[in-house]
Amino acid sequence: MPTFVYMTHCDGCGECVDICPSDIMHIDPTYRRALNIEPNFCWECYSCVKACPQNAIDVRGYADFAPLGHSVRVLREEEKRTISWKVKFRDGREKKFVSPIRTTPWGSIKSPSDYDPPSPESFANQELSHEPEALHVPSLPTLSNNNFKQGAI
Amino acid sequence: MGLFSRRKTVFVDSDILVIGGGMAGCGATYESRYWGRDLKIVCVEKANIDRSGAVAQGLYAINCYMGMQWDENQPEDHVRYARNDLMGLVREDLGYDIARHVDSTVHKFEEWGLPIMKDPESGRYQREGKWQIMIHGESYKPIVAEAARKAATKVYNRIMVTHLLMDEKKPNRVAGAVGFNVRTGDFYVFRAKAVIVSAGGASHIYKPRSTGEGMGRTWYAPWSSASAYALPIQVGAKMMQMENRIVLTRFKDGYGPVGAYFLHLQTYTENAYGNEYESTWYDHTKELVGDYIDRHPVPTCLRNHAFLEEVKAGRGPIRMVTKEAFQDPHKETIGWENFLGMTIGQAVVWASQNIDPKHTNPELTTSEPYVMGSHATCSGAWASGPEDYAPNEYQWGYNRMMTVDGLFGAGDTIGGTAHKFSSGSFAEGRIAAKAAVNYVNNLGKDVPQVNEAEYERLHITVFQPLETFKVGRNEIVAGSVSPHYILPIHGLQRLEKIMDEYVGGIGSHYTTNEPLLSRGLELLEMLKEDLNHIGAEDLHQLQRAWELHHRVLASESVAHHTMFRKETRWPGYYYRADHPKLDDEDWHCFTLSRFDSESGNWEMEKAPVYHIVD
Amino acid sequence: MLTTNPFAELGVLLSPLSMQIYVVFVIIAVAAGTLLDMLHKRSAKFFTMYLKESKEAATKTLSGKDKASIAAKTIAIDIATSAEFCNVQRRISHLFMFYGFIIYCTTTIAMVFGYPTPAAPTPIVLPILWNTGAFMILIGGYWFFFFLRVNVAKDGQPMFRLVRADLFIVTLIASVTFGLIWAFVQNMGDSTATKIILGLYIFFTTALFGTVAWSKLPHMFYKPVMAFQRRVEESDGSSSLPPPAITNEGR
Repeated sequence: MPTFVYMTHCDGCGECVDICPSDIMHIDPTYRRALNIEPNFCWECYSCVKACPQNAIDVRGYADFAPLGHSVRVLREEEKRTISWKVKFRDGREKKFVSPIRTTPWGSIKSPSDYDPPSPESFANQELSHEPEALHVPSLPTLSNNNFKQGAI
Repeated sequence: MGLFSRRKTVFVDSDILVIGGGMAGCGATYESRYWGRDLKIVCVEKANIDRSGAVAQGLYAINCYMGMQWDENQPEDHVRYARNDLMGLVREDLGYDIARHVDSTVHKFEEWGLPIMKDPESGRYQREGKWQIMIHGESYKPIVAEAARKAATKVYNRIMVTHLLMDEKKPNRVAGAVGFNVRTGDFYVFRAKAVIVSAGGASHIYKPRSTGEGMGRTWYAPWSSASAYALPIQVGAKMMQMENRIVLTRFKDGYGPVGAYFLHLQTYTENAYGNEYESTWYDHTKELVGDYIDRHPVPTCLRNHAFLEEVKAGRGPIRMVTKEAFQDPHKETIGWENFLGMTIGQAVVWASQNIDPKHTNPELTTSEPYVMGSHATCSGAWASGPEDYAPNEYQWGYNRMMTVDGLFGAGDTIGGTAHKFSSGSFAEGRIAAKAAVNYVNNLGKDVPQVNEAEYERLHITVFQPLETFKVGRNEIVAGSVSPHYILPIHGLQRLEKIMDEYVGGIGSHYTTNEPLLSRGLELLEMLKEDLNHIGAEDLHQLQRAWELHHRVLASESVAHHTMFRKETRWPGYYYRADHPKLDDEDWHCFTLSRFDSESGNWEMEKAPVYHIVD
Repeated sequence: MLTTNPFAELGVLLSPLSMQIYVVFVIIAVAAGTLLDMLHKRSAKFFTMYLKESKEAATKTLSGKDKASIAAKTIAIDIATSAEFCNVQRRISHLFMFYGFIIYCTTTIAMVFGYPTPAAPTPIVLPILWNTGAFMILIGGYWFFFFLRVNVAKDGQPMFRLVRADLFIVTLIASVTFGLIWAFVQNMGDSTATKIILGLYIFFTTALFGTVAWSKLPHMFYKPVMAFQRRVEESDGSSSLPPPAITNEGR
């Protein structure tokens, strides 16, 4: 279902242009508002839909197989850390869903530089950052290196 | 480029260059900083790392988590599982390595803020299946990208890397990469001591089932343009198992995921007449693959195979029986949120066709083929394994380093590492990063140098399609048809048709043989020549042009590998009609290839499969 | 210079009547252009259809009082504070242009109709406001043109490649720029330069108001209507969007 942009709601801010993983959201030269220039490369990932501060982007299922009259709309509220969906069927049935999207504040991830630097000896062993503590087991598992078999097993 | 061209050349120097800011790239960026506090770590991404890659819309499950802390699984169990699913042929050393590090990866995700569902009784992560845990992953990618942004010296968004650069001092050593800014058109020369390729695998190399707007609804992201393969192949890195393309059984048209349905909601399939069919193909499958059909769980390709045979026999459409499960409102919510958090397109398909799984059993289908290294697949670059236990044959240097010095890989890039998925890819990024930091530290003064003549030559090559269009455009009045250049979409559709008809796409029932493969390679050769005549109207089309280049090179690799393996190892993924059975005597091995860009030749060889876990 | 009424000075060259007719022509041109735009695009029909569908989808009926309150909010927030712009810089730039334009236009009309000759002395506040309004338009306008146009700032378009969407902003900036230069040059007494710059001023002003059917100018009427409609949809349940989540909802 490729995206389209509502003329009346888009104020041409360019957030969708910035975020689109497919590089298909661009600015129309007549209206200076957003449009999907390549619907056949649209994955319907909804990144632009979620990023639009005006909720100006919506999706119409791919013409190859999606009849008209449906609607799947989303409200991603970053501060509340929730995402809300409203699914409307062609025959009018509606379903609503709400889910959490994050349990910590945005920007709160600790930079790897803020941890104690690794000891010189640890560069040569197999433990990665935060191991073995973050494994929640006493040590990193390993195998012996003299037990190989060839052929069907 | 115009009389008043404002396009410039930008040089970016770094110790470690991470190409591709998806799950693996973000893992690599994070870990590089942890071990290289004073190093310059650069991540370059053709889109925007906040939503780039296959996890753009989110995920509803993490499909690779051991749960060692609760004794749920051990890494060797995962090796057995992956090996079993890939009919015996995986790099067990690499797989074990990922499995032993993935739990710490997932625990960090939770710490960073990814909501992981909990089992209300045990308090443990809610399992969807033996390896899968359920998450509210709509923001999985933005969260992981935040970790990478905190770690990187700089993240470059909207720069497409087109080629790697080699060291002019030492042969077979990488020195950086070139690319262009998709917005400004500036040419970028990245000079790096080590390069980690964590780009996308191959979608859109086979003709998809939907060919209009619906082309966009591929199972694997349409922006995965095989850069993970093309970049290493171009510089002579060895690749493995590129014949092992994957075909997925998913919901019709939307390709929505079925994992949560089968595992958590306990749904099952039936044919058009309401009958169970998988078991009816047991004897037939045993004829082809012997004891592999008796494994538990049944390998993915063999389940596909039964599906395909049933459909060929005229008893489709195959449906998933959901009516029972969906009566439970909790399961119904999970069924829908499973899509909304991962493949929103499927929710749109059902809404548009009035499909409510409570009242209708939805249709399933098998997809067109894809080549990528993080799913039920083992294709990708041939990489050195972990130092503590990998066999000597699998180790020639640093962990996850390819057969080119200083060139590392992670995620879909690396072959032999089935069933790692998102968390395993991130874990592999971390593995490659630590190794790359060690590599850089050990270089000392012996630092690679890019060759100026090389990147000046590539400067012209990279922008050639813009020039071709501008000049060639003078010949015709208007429109897309020119006798002297093709548009990127033309090349893509030609590629997809060639692969579909000759290398086992949906149009040929996933079947091929040597004569077909030979002809396919001839046609690919002509397509490759025509790649010198792509016309790109603007920078967006230029990106499409280079995505096409990468796809064609990867497809050539797929065709050569498919020709080389004279057996049908994975019925249900593809069939060699001239060698229809599994042949463990001659083909219990890996297929490796090396492309020589000077001669244009492909060298194929076999490599032994070592079983490290029993 | 900032305190002289340029239209009164112009009264030597052009008759007050001709200036006044021109202003009336401009007003008619804007109305006609907008109407032409709507008729040609049949947007009036579309909106009628759209409003009907929206009303049918409403789950709540809004009272006259509700609607009046929504209208008040639309005027006070969406229009008066240019709330449609989520990007802060764009919002500020638009506020400069919006209020600058209002001040500039009203003072133009006041001076052209009230004080078109040197005979009746112009209250000093009018030319001061006229110049202020013009400068506000130019501050917002040049800032927007060079730094904030999204096709340039985010979409990689070269700054001086003009597209149809630039028709409005370019004619606006050109018109007001030449207006200020004309007022300055006329005040200095250079009659040749005055005539040339005046010619350019009239040209670009005519272009600005005459190309309404092809430019973005009519959106200054459509946007407030839509802003009102959006608020209505949020209140009467007809919006296809899900409602905002209750904080800390979800599992």
